[in-house]
Amino acid sequence: MQLGFLVDLHLCMGCKGCEIACKVENEVPLSTWRLRVKYVDVGTFPETKRTFTPLRCNHCENAPCERICPVSALHYLDNGIVNIDKERCIGCAGCVMACPYGAIYIDPQTQTADKCTYCAHRVASSMMPACVVACPVQANIFGDLDDPKSNISTYIMKNQGGVQVRKPEKGTNPHHYYVGGGNVSLNPLASHRIDGHSLFNKITTLPVGGHH
Amino acid sequence: MAAHEILAATNAVVTLDVALPGIVWPWLVTVNMWAKSIGTGVIFMLFLLLRMHPESGNKLKLHTAAAAFIFINIFLLFTLADLHQPFRMWHIFLYPHFTSAIAVGSFMASAFLGLLTLLVFLAWKKNDAAFDKVFLWTTILAIPVTLYTAALMSQCTARELWQMPAESAQMMLAALVAGSAFMILLGGNKLDYEAKKMLGTVLGLSALMAFIIYMSEYVFGPMKAEEIAFTLEYIKGDGPYTVMFWLGQWMTYLLPMLLIVLSRSAKSESLLKLAAILALVGLFMVKHVWLMIPQLLPMS
Repeated sequence: MQLGFLVDLHLCMGCKGCEIACKVENEVPLSTWRLRVKYVDVGTFPETKRTFTPLRCNHCENAPCERICPVSALHYLDNGIVNIDKERCIGCAGCVMACPYGAIYIDPQTQTADKCTYCAHRVASSMMPACVVACPVQANIFGDLDDPKSNISTYIMKNQGGVQVRKPEKGTNPHHYYVGGGNVSLNPLASHRIDGHSLFNKITTLPVGGHH
Repeated sequence: MAAHEILAATNAVVTLDVALPGIVWPWLVTVNMWAKSIGTGVIFMLFLLLRMHPESGNKLKLHTAAAAFIFINIFLLFTLADLHQPFRMWHIFLYPHFTSAIAVGSFMASAFLGLLTLLVFLAWKKNDAAFDKVFLWTTILAIPVTLYTAALMSQCTARELWQMPAESAQMMLAALVAGSAFMILLGGNKLDYEAKKMLGTVLGLSALMAFIIYMSEYVFGPMKAEEIAFTLEYIKGDGPYTVMFWLGQWMTYLLPMLLIVLSRSAKSESLLKLAAILALVGLFMVKHVWLMIPQLLPMS
């Protein structure tokens, strides 16, 4: 079994329901996110468009975080999920430095690394991840990539030419796919990031783990 | 900061995202690298002195072993201080994951510290025969201890700037620069002029090589990868680390090279000492800039 995620960006409307469901399910502390939805505005008025991109751990087959972790706090489960053992983590932040997707953070409450686990605890009980359940338009598709009849496999087969991963050049082989993505939505360097300005706040950076 | 891949026609702007994480590995890690360069560098220099200027080298066995012991302890202390869960440090030894340079490095650095402790004891007891045997293994172990931080940086897949070939060369050259500079200051009257001249040569040539590598990355790095080009923008033009980068290059490499040439022609030990002080202070800045700039790269 190899679990994977696919997000159809044609369907995503940026409601952030997945983000909130994840926060609640996993008790993610303030100022940190396992899953977030990025808005990028494209074009010049009146020809403008807003893109929405949910970003989470890519559960890579060749995960840099798993490789760099000195104590195996980050480890693979049999179903392909890259899981984390917070009791074992020493907080060296090597994984935060290694992850090319910015998907790992230092939990300010436990001072250990944390990230999306595809809701491994729910999956173990044969439930879907919280973000999948919360999505009102079924833009999040989750399932077994090794099973050709699973929802995710059939979706990938239908959209073969349009399936992308983030930063394929890193050789991480992510198990998180996007349909309908473009350079603007998937490449962090393809859009301006104006310091101190976003829709709802003026915070550009936050201290890692709440200290230093 | 200009993003390179932005097409003017798209005018793409991030309008809502989570705040980017700040610096993940702060100045504590700079101290870690700086102190380790001195700790292993003085061992390399004593090895060189014992072979080329044994009279001078023999007088410095205890001083060198003690200096290496102190700086490796500083290195380990700051490594510990940088952990968010420092009291779980023992997990590395109980649950080691040997694909990680951190785990391998922890074992090597611990063994290295053990050997240094033994060296201090043997030098204090003036047991030269045992010292020389242990010292050979200490010098050999100092090589991977110097290099493992480069491996760790290279394992940071997200930070394209840090590539193993360049970083390992820079780590070794930093150890040679720091070791020779520290030895010039530590030696005092115990080193004869010829020994100091040799240390000055090591310092000057190491500085030259390190400067060439930095300039190569500065000029040619952006031609290889978009992320490197973006990262190096932070030390170009009015980038936030431009001043510190060039101050570091001048203090660590260019001025010491010039001062060493002048000291040889004028046979001046004061100029040599000034070069050594500049190199040691500047090395901190050079290491700090190279540690910080890849961390400013947006990943989201």
